[in-house]
Amino acid sequence: MTENNLAIANIPIQQWGGLYNQEEALNIGTIFHDLNKPFFAAEAVTGSKNPIAPEAGNQGKSNIQIEREGLMTRITQLGFYLDDLTLYLDTHENDTQGIQLYHEISKEYAELRKQFAQNYYPLSRLCIPYCINDNETAFCWQEGPMPWEGACI
Amino acid sequence: MWVYEKRLQYPVKITKCCPKTAQLIISQYGGPDGELSASMRYLSQRYTMPVKEVGGLLTDIGTEELAHMEIICAMVYQLTKNVTIEQAKEAGFDAYYIDHTTALWPQAASSVPFTSLEFQSKGDAITDLTENLAAEQKARTVYDNLLRMIPDPEIQEPLKFLRAREIVHFQRFGEALEKTKEKLDSRNFYYFNPEFDKQMFQNKL
Repeated sequence: MTENNLAIANIPIQQWGGLYNQEEALNIGTIFHDLNKPFFAAEAVTGSKNPIAPEAGNQGKSNIQIEREGLMTRITQLGFYLDDLTLYLDTHENDTQGIQLYHEISKEYAELRKQFAQNYYPLSRLCIPYCINDNETAFCWQEGPMPWEGACI
Repeated sequence: MWVYEKRLQYPVKITKCCPKTAQLIISQYGGPDGELSASMRYLSQRYTMPVKEVGGLLTDIGTEELAHMEIICAMVYQLTKNVTIEQAKEAGFDAYYIDHTTALWPQAASSVPFTSLEFQSKGDAITDLTENLAAEQKARTVYDNLLRMIPDPEIQEPLKFLRAREIVHFQRFGEALEKTKEKLDSRNFYYFNPEFDKQMFQNKL
């Protein structure tokens, strides 16, 4: 850790500490307890437990859609966990706890993305190999809704 | 090379039409402290960064900012996709409508178009990282202002998430600055420019 110096910005290096679980982290916007600094005007918004399929909004949905939303929720939560962990490791490249956690979550994340491609559609072109079947008549990359439409179907 | 991921980093599901709110939020697309500006700032600065890990961090944060731009655009799109002419007139969305209909176009809330003049790529690692610390704070202030102005939970949730990211990025840029300082002489960080006076910088290693 560098000492404080005059005439330049000095920022303390973050130490590894308490972490939110995957569901909390996405709702809060960071995995780290130490970096959660809320704003008073937004405190009323507790963050719905599941922003992909909010509330008890499962009425009128098919089982397939409920399952798909469940899988997409997990992928979004794990994906964000890895996003935040990546930035931490960019500046803490020798942090063994961070590296170990990254490895664990990235394996699960890869497995869920594979499942999503096999059952529904590929989330990225890297997932296309999991979608290939002999009866394919349309290119699978165009399947699924555009993400800005707000639906997960 | 980038790989597109067909999902938002944080989901957006807005059920109402509100062109007034869209006109405020669009500032974080094309405004002075918006996500487009943030992404282009970091992705421009990274090439000449003297510390490799800092170039890596700029790439990762610059990429995340592209995902944030997509979240903001999704919000503006969902708030305006079913707008009627009457609603557009009433909300003052009519001027935007004349030029862009309901398409997305990067501009500030004040309707000033997006411009690269809003960010810097100065070619001095200390200068650029200090700019980035300020940039994250400016973006946080805009999210604070939006959160005060917009009480609706389904709009506040993604804004709150994006605000939280600004604070995390600030911390990371601070750590990147410390990493850069470690490779310089702490008695005078300004004796030469590590990004340009490469010979002098390498002698320090």
